[in-house]
Amino acid sequence: MLFKTITKENLRTFITNIIKENQTFAPVVVSTDADNNPIYQFKKVDSFEEIKINYTKSYSSIKNFFLPYKEDLSTFHFNENGWEQKINYRVNPRVLFGVRACDINALIKLDQVLMKGSFPHPYYIARRKNTFIIGLDHEPMADCFCQSLDTNEVVHGFDIFLTDIGPKYFMLINSSKAFNLLKNITIEEVKEEDRENYIKEKNRLASLFKSHVDVTGMANLMDIEFESSVWQKWGDKCLSCGSCAMVCPTCYCYTVCEKINLSLKTASKEKMLYSCNLIDFAEVAGGHNFRPKSSDRLKYRYYHQHRGFVESFDESKCVGCNRCQKACPADINPVEVLRDLRKENIK
Amino acid sequence: MTYKIPVYDINNEHSLSQTPNFNNKNALMKTDMVYQCEITNIVELTESEKLFQLKIINPIEAKIFSFLPGQFVMVEVPGFGEIPVSISGSTSRRGSVALCIRKVGKVTGILHKLKKGTMLGIRGPFGTHFPMKQMKGSNILLIAGGLGIAPLRAPIYWINEHRSDFENVHILYGVKTPEQILFDFQFDSWRKIYNYDIHVIVENSDKSWQGKTGLITDLFKDISIDVKNTYAIVCGPPAMFKFVCDYLNKQGLAMNQMFISLERRMHCGMGKCCRCMVGSTFTCVDGPVMDFWTVMNLKEAI
Amino acid sequence: MEFSGIPLKKLRAAFFDFTSCEGCQLQILNHEKNLPDFLSLIEIVNFREISSDKRDDYEIAFIEGAVSRKDQIDRLKDIRKKAKLVVSLGTCACYGGVNAIKNNFSIESMVDEVYKENKPETIPVQKISEIISVDLEIPGCPVSKIELEYIILCLALGSVIEKKKYPVCIECKQNMNHCFIDKGSLCFGAITRAGCDSICVNGGLPCYGCRGPSASVNWMSLKNILIDKGITEEEILEKLSLFNSLNEVIKDEN
Repeated sequence: MLFKTITKENLRTFITNIIKENQTFAPVVVSTDADNNPIYQFKKVDSFEEIKINYTKSYSSIKNFFLPYKEDLSTFHFNENGWEQKINYRVNPRVLFGVRACDINALIKLDQVLMKGSFPHPYYIARRKNTFIIGLDHEPMADCFCQSLDTNEVVHGFDIFLTDIGPKYFMLINSSKAFNLLKNITIEEVKEEDRENYIKEKNRLASLFKSHVDVTGMANLMDIEFESSVWQKWGDKCLSCGSCAMVCPTCYCYTVCEKINLSLKTASKEKMLYSCNLIDFAEVAGGHNFRPKSSDRLKYRYYHQHRGFVESFDESKCVGCNRCQKACPADINPVEVLRDLRKENIK
Repeated sequence: MTYKIPVYDINNEHSLSQTPNFNNKNALMKTDMVYQCEITNIVELTESEKLFQLKIINPIEAKIFSFLPGQFVMVEVPGFGEIPVSISGSTSRRGSVALCIRKVGKVTGILHKLKKGTMLGIRGPFGTHFPMKQMKGSNILLIAGGLGIAPLRAPIYWINEHRSDFENVHILYGVKTPEQILFDFQFDSWRKIYNYDIHVIVENSDKSWQGKTGLITDLFKDISIDVKNTYAIVCGPPAMFKFVCDYLNKQGLAMNQMFISLERRMHCGMGKCCRCMVGSTFTCVDGPVMDFWTVMNLKEAI
Repeated sequence: MEFSGIPLKKLRAAFFDFTSCEGCQLQILNHEKNLPDFLSLIEIVNFREISSDKRDDYEIAFIEGAVSRKDQIDRLKDIRKKAKLVVSLGTCACYGGVNAIKNNFSIESMVDEVYKENKPETIPVQKISEIISVDLEIPGCPVSKIELEYIILCLALGSVIEKKKYPVCIECKQNMNHCFIDKGSLCFGAITRAGCDSICVNGGLPCYGCRGPSASVNWMSLKNILIDKGITEEEILEKLSLFNSLNEVIKDEN
């Protein structure tokens, strides 16, 4: 990794030029919530001015750039002799600007499952390797608890990462692609005062976290508290609507659906991101449902986050972005659920 | 000066142009590409179960495809969907796959309408297998409930082909009604040629039924088990294998000498879609075959 | 005819309208680019909006609209006798729809309010399944043409028709919409069956549940959420009864 600085003016020129030559997605305002706070989403931008550089966090995560909500796994073409299967992995390069540290760490978790483990997923790899990621540090919101999950700092998984240190940005350069692009613009060596300002800023950001949860030993606690009434309590609130999994930066589970084109000449095999909170998630042939109750399904979601994923990769699947609560009509707060399990909420 | 992000074309990856080999899990391959198969034979076993014989068409794919007893394939009916089915045939017949399929849903409903000669797709094999080599020199207890006999046919063929490797072989088979009994046309040959001890019991008998009536556990009275030198392979509904394995465990059969095949609805077979997860375990990758100790340590297995 | 080894049957279909806006019938004629293929899968023998042909040899009868007059009952029973398969098409046919709002008033006061003279004979609104047995229900105000195409294809191929069990929220989040409830507004997407691709929310309107309840409804929780947002119980119940499609979700409440 290289460490450099870039002035705000040069960054503007750099991003402006990137936007001109590449499909670029960045945070923009799309709505406002009940308390009049802006709601942001990553959308395609045509100029630097459209970008809300001081945004808080996007309502949906950036995962759908890598795991689209719907994606054709293959198509079947029917002929007199039967059929032929076709697969297309082609993805055009694009740029994501303004990605948060927790979201980059979420991608690293997805990399574990979809790129590095058994049966690497070509669709994901094609998207991952064609997406240029420019990250951006930010002041945590009151509900951000990524610090508790150690995902508020980035080490890899991005191309460029920027931290605002006053007149300029402190810049982490993490790919040769990034290094080559930056040759087009003036960047500066890190000076003594930049290092000081960077560390000061990092300390300031770290001190701003208000939401914390202790996840140590959570994997075993999930097993020990499997029959806990906590699941019933939260399950009673849960609408089993699956919103949490849709906005979650690391939920990757899916369902597969095949559709025959009305012409009867082709059919598509479509993958659609699903949610373990949905009623038929664990239904098997013949209709038996292994998780018929909403509390079973809610529990399973936490179980996968803090037990299943830990068993495979030694870390929680959750990055602490708290998008799930924001998107949850029932306002289910993962921090409160985990605290309930730790019996921290009992006075 | 260019600000253009270079293209990464995954199609240039050499391994992606190769025929997928699902036994080579860590390779980058076209994980969604099926092997085309022709239905070469269909045997109507009962009103709701048919045995399909498939032949992999491409000789390279037929050569690559090799499985072990207990593994499953994803069966693709283009346009209708893909379902997991455990292989119920011999491991030694290269390029040939036998599948016993019950009509229960959309895809199986269509499968039951298909005729000989139709093209299907398969991906696989996936999942764990019964450790047949580890069982060498032992008595084998094969216990099936209902459609659970289908996955047991693969280890049965294995035993037949390596009969001298095994001591006494018992099959205990329980079904709800006599007309649901599967593969009884093979029982005679298994008894006579391979010296199997086969016991069948039905839960609800009718006038035509000459055999025993009751639950599968009632059959234990009819056999004696040398717990020190026996492996059990159990396949059936969760309530059934729990009863059976608890009983055998009480008799002294170690939990890691009993192997179970779990049933879940996989959508990918590759540990990606999470649909078959039991607690923290993927049935498609860490299962479907597991020993009883592992199953009992899984939350929500039963 | 055959499709990949599966027999394909071209079905003789009739479309009948009862009390409705006829919007669902118009939907059938939408998605023009697929119309030739659509029409190659069914033979339309009776469809007042598009043809003067009126044959009675149909296998499938699609019923649009609800029942609101006595004479409609006999007509419906006659259709049932002739059709092998009766399909309720649209929210009015499946649940009564917007028409059913009239059931909240006495027939007399309602007729007086709407008609000054030439007062018609009318009865309380009933959904089709209250009068005859229905084999298949395709709700939606209007029905989704894409869903209808899928169902016609399933019928032609003799394949199982799979209904989505999950609620509209999934489609809504996949369309990257901001949740109406987070905006502090009422929305029934969380308890309504998906399949519409959250078309109302995409267009800026909340979901009022025209497609009926999803397979997992937690009404008590949703009601509490809406009350917490400051929405009155009266308003919740009023909106809930808009299409007469979600009535069953409040059954357990008392």
